[in-house]
Amino acid sequence: MELDYLATVLLSSLSSASVLLIATVGLAIVFGLMGVINLAHGEFIMFGAYVALFATRNGVPFPLAVVLASVVTALFGAIVERAIIRHLYGRILDTLLATWGLSLVLYQSAVLIFGTVTPGVGMPQSNIEIGNYTLSTYLLFLILVAVVLIGLLYWLLTRTGYGIVARAAIQDPQTAATIGIESGRINTATFALGSGLAGFAGAILLPAFPATPSMGFAFVIKAFLAVVAAGPVTLSGTVVAGGALGSIASMTASFYTTVMGDVVFFLATITILRIFPLGISARWRLKL
Amino acid sequence: MRDRLKGTRMARAAAVVLALTMATGAWADDDVKVGAIFDLTGGLNIYGIQQSQALHLAVDSINAGGGVLGNQITVIENDAQSDLAKYTQYTNTLILRDQIDVLFAGLTSSSREAIRPIVRQKKVPYFYSALYEGGACDKQTFITGASASQQLSVLIDWAVKEYGPRIYIMAPDYNFGTISAHWVEYYAEQFGAEVLGADFLPLTVTDYSPTIQKIQGANPDFVVALPVGANQTGFLEQFAAAGLKDKMGIVSTNYGSGNQQVVVSPDAGEGIVASQEYFMWIDEPNNEPFMARWEEAYGLDEPIISEAADVWNAVHIWAAAVEIAGSTDNDAVIAALEGGVSFEGPNGTVSMQPGSHHLRQNIYIVRGNREHAFDVIQKFEYVVPSFEDEVCDLIANPDTAEHFVP
Amino acid sequence: MAKAVKADMPRVARFEPFSLVWFCGLVGLAIVASLAFDPYLAYVATSWVIFGLLGLSLDLVWGRGGILSFGQTAFYGLGGYLGSITAINFASLTGNTLVWSLPVGMATGAATAFLIGGLTFYGRLGPLQTTIITYTFTLVLWTVAVSFTATVGEAVVGGDNGMSNIPGYVLGLGRDAPLLEPGAMFLTVAVIATIAWYASHVLMRSPFGLVVDCIRMDPVKAELLGYDVRLYQLLLFTIAGAVAGLAGALFGAWANYLNPSVFSVQEALLVPIYVLVGGRGTLVGAFIGALAVGGLSFWLGGGVIGGQTTLVMGACLILLVIFLRNGLTGGLKDLMELARRLARRRDQGEEAEARKSSLSVDFERLDLLRTAGGEPVVLETEDTFKRFGGVTPVRHISQSFSRGRVRCLIGPNGAGKSSYLKACTGVYKPDGGSITLAGQDITKTDPFRRVRMGLGIKNQRAQVFAGLDVRRNLWVAAYSRSRDARMADWITTEMLHMLGMRNSASRPASELSHGEQQWLDLGMVLALAPDVILLDEPAAGMTNEERRQLSHMVRALARTASVVVVEHDMDFVRTLDADVTVLHQGEVFARGDIESLRQDDRVLDIYLGRRQHV
Repeated sequence: MELDYLATVLLSSLSSASVLLIATVGLAIVFGLMGVINLAHGEFIMFGAYVALFATRNGVPFPLAVVLASVVTALFGAIVERAIIRHLYGRILDTLLATWGLSLVLYQSAVLIFGTVTPGVGMPQSNIEIGNYTLSTYLLFLILVAVVLIGLLYWLLTRTGYGIVARAAIQDPQTAATIGIESGRINTATFALGSGLAGFAGAILLPAFPATPSMGFAFVIKAFLAVVAAGPVTLSGTVVAGGALGSIASMTASFYTTVMGDVVFFLATITILRIFPLGISARWRLKL
Repeated sequence: MRDRLKGTRMARAAAVVLALTMATGAWADDDVKVGAIFDLTGGLNIYGIQQSQALHLAVDSINAGGGVLGNQITVIENDAQSDLAKYTQYTNTLILRDQIDVLFAGLTSSSREAIRPIVRQKKVPYFYSALYEGGACDKQTFITGASASQQLSVLIDWAVKEYGPRIYIMAPDYNFGTISAHWVEYYAEQFGAEVLGADFLPLTVTDYSPTIQKIQGANPDFVVALPVGANQTGFLEQFAAAGLKDKMGIVSTNYGSGNQQVVVSPDAGEGIVASQEYFMWIDEPNNEPFMARWEEAYGLDEPIISEAADVWNAVHIWAAAVEIAGSTDNDAVIAALEGGVSFEGPNGTVSMQPGSHHLRQNIYIVRGNREHAFDVIQKFEYVVPSFEDEVCDLIANPDTAEHFVP
Repeated sequence: MAKAVKADMPRVARFEPFSLVWFCGLVGLAIVASLAFDPYLAYVATSWVIFGLLGLSLDLVWGRGGILSFGQTAFYGLGGYLGSITAINFASLTGNTLVWSLPVGMATGAATAFLIGGLTFYGRLGPLQTTIITYTFTLVLWTVAVSFTATVGEAVVGGDNGMSNIPGYVLGLGRDAPLLEPGAMFLTVAVIATIAWYASHVLMRSPFGLVVDCIRMDPVKAELLGYDVRLYQLLLFTIAGAVAGLAGALFGAWANYLNPSVFSVQEALLVPIYVLVGGRGTLVGAFIGALAVGGLSFWLGGGVIGGQTTLVMGACLILLVIFLRNGLTGGLKDLMELARRLARRRDQGEEAEARKSSLSVDFERLDLLRTAGGEPVVLETEDTFKRFGGVTPVRHISQSFSRGRVRCLIGPNGAGKSSYLKACTGVYKPDGGSITLAGQDITKTDPFRRVRMGLGIKNQRAQVFAGLDVRRNLWVAAYSRSRDARMADWITTEMLHMLGMRNSASRPASELSHGEQQWLDLGMVLALAPDVILLDEPAAGMTNEERRQLSHMVRALARTASVVVVEHDMDFVRTLDADVTVLHQGEVFARGDIESLRQDDRVLDIYLGRRQHV
């Protein structure tokens, strides 16, 4: 095996894991802090992608469009939380079904409004050469994005008033309630945060993954296996599980076939759950 | 009224529905009944809506000219909702309840395979209009899309001459992909080229980096890429961004059939070579009136896809066969079709091959430009569906009901 | 004992002849429908019945078992494929196609469900994780199936192009047996579905069904009653898998064609909709749901609402989950329940009076239930040790519990009382030391096995099956011990007398007051006739009168069983006249009777948190 090939495989599987992580982290936050699995997460990603797409086509610079997409999707998430999720607390399987219904509605609405084809943004045509191989700069940039994103979230959840209160509410709801934390508002904020992260993912991935109504579906399956494999510890669990699953699958695909990569992803998830029935982080003492 | 509705897609979808409900509303008893099942909703409706639009356009044009055998044609249409079980259900309903004379339906090979045994048992002529991997052979079934071998026989020949003999294949991991890959290898050998490797992608894959590395490792002269649906166009973006487009050619038999050239950015789409039986940009005498008609009815915001032309041709070929047979009776129509029916379609002359029930038709090779459109670079005239003609002879063996695999 | 069985005794879990009337009525309805339907309607309706059958399989595991499975379509698809492959190859031998496809389909569905169920239930996965595993399994099947091609005899499995040439419905025998017309086909499928429904109905009315219901309501309590929860779940899952496989085989013959789309996400998620629309846990609701959804989607597909089926279905799902949790049948039931409750409200006041005065313990009967005599059964822990990460709640506790006098475990908060108790019940598996019951080592034994060996456990929180009436609650416990319905009826009646809850026998346990629930919970433990009884803060939340009775009862129990009481409340401990063990920081700190310990300064120190001994 040539060294340059090995280096490219390593770097690109790292970028694959980053893509998975970016697409997953919003789902993980909502699951970790609210105990809710949002099956419409993929469609939230799609939502963000379309917002960013239309913003750029109307002359908004791409970085600004990413911010706009995150904010708009977060607002949309807040509305969804008030209208639907709120009524289903404590009924996790029902939430699963309701959000699946929401995903159908969003998907079909997108088909109706945008049609199934809309022009994409396109990736920056720049790449880095490693020996005989080239890697797209943008995909490498996504590694950086993932690292910064996780860092920011860590800061948000540990150093800000919202983060501390949100974590308190999940760790001890009763005490939180007695000291006057309004769990309703916290939940709306958390769900909006998760949705905003989905919108961000759709926007930041838009150059490499064109906006189509069905794009969410392709991301969400793996995202939500990664979250369940990760277990209750939101950030570090997701980083470990998502990173490991993503890069193992990508490497398998590099050395064998892409089908094999997918199968390995699924089998690894099942194995993890067999060993850690409640996810990889169920017994960690770390709480974030 | 149509002028006002023109524009947004939502309005167009509404127009289809309106036409549909009006059509199903009332018909005289001696009308000829055409059944249609396409995916008007769900993931496949990018194809299904245009197929349905083409069907209505063709029926309207025939009705305006006096119908078939002096009778008007009524369309009875169902939405398969991109759900395979619906095809089975609606095919039976259309035949048992509505007693249709002919069925136009389906996009995916699986939908055709679901319909095939039913029309065979109930004896209704059935037209399948989409490009596909080839090999379907059944007395009741007629196919107006191009088969993989039909497209690849000219595309590989052209590409080997253009780029060189070293080939890599990226294909979706199901029948269309694996059988197409087989034909690439077959024609590669025939034209003195070599397939260096192939990567088959599951339909849910989003991570294309491994495939792109493998292509770089193999370093081919050109890549045969068969991305299915709009999702896999991400591959084309990443292919271009990694700078591979400058190093090697990229050709496809299905790129453009679902308007992927609209989704792909100009940087990625420019220079991708596609081969199909119809593109909106071809220069044929009948294409202009066809497009004018289409524009009047539905507008041209969304380019016309090859499946639309396939349906248009199918309806006219069937109507011609009915005129020849002098009846809509199943056996008579099939006999007329097997007598050889030709039609001047938007994509030139097409004719039904009597034995294989596939179309002999032009195949165009085009190259993507920066305007989300294509430039025609070469036309291969009147290409024979050679594999289907070879394995499938329904005149000699009328009882064949198979899906031949090379 | 049999003489105690009264003629008018209410029966729990018995065959009801009345349900046969339903069965015959449904079959009659199917016959009428098959004659009245147009061929095309009969044809389409057949598929709705098949989807209803698929819904039934999910309703068994989800509505009754409480496990949301997205894997039913996997069992359905696999059953369909294997059943159809068998029919393609062998139907020519008999003419009849169903004798081949149906048994093979059922067996395939059952076997696959058994494997997946074994993996999840015996892995002790959480409910969400179980759902995800079944979802993943279906997705893997889909990924594999779209590119999987094989030729099995005459059958060609063609990847995404699917498998054609599946023979249709032939009932007759011999080479020339005719294909059924749509009407007859509908009748055949409807009769098969009715039989499947009826069998499920009878099964769910049986003790098996009652236990399954209990597991859904409170799996922990079900295990503490000595039921092997995982075995029940696995059996239920396997049965449901067989039903799904049956539906798959029927579907293959209906469509004459199968394709990997049976494993698709859309298909997998449609099944819960059937169940939700019809009403979860009603069994018959699955068919109503499939009929409603199938009819709606059929009607929409005809172009009536612009083909926006997906949109309408998605919106319906959201509204259903939020507003009509229990589906159409559930909604009706709720209405009827409301009406009944309104009608009953008037005489409720009197009833409550009567109950209060009848709450008394009849100790004569208590002894009837005991298998008295023989060697005393001893629970013994030797050097038991349990650690979690850096915390060690139980360090080397050695203690033996025998009958005669009540043994109380006391200690301040964090002394390790409840961890130690959990080690005894088997919720925690000790890291060191050993636990023996009646001389047998049970250190690593599952809780339900310990219960079967004679351990009775009552947790601090009242654990009753809220959806069942008082009688059924007791019956489930009694049945666990005897595995005999008549015996369980007798024990239940005795227990009702003993607890003084005869007048409340038909009330749902959820309507009982907190104290009554504790009382019922205790009754359930006693109905197991345990030799060793572990009670965790039994007096919590009880009135003074109730505590007096409880104390009386505990002392009476100790005559024939080893009774361990973990208690906070010193006054209550004093009334028990017990041997007391004081735990502190996970170790035995002192032993003695309560009076002498009350004089012990060291004990007071640790209770008051004073320096010297902390």
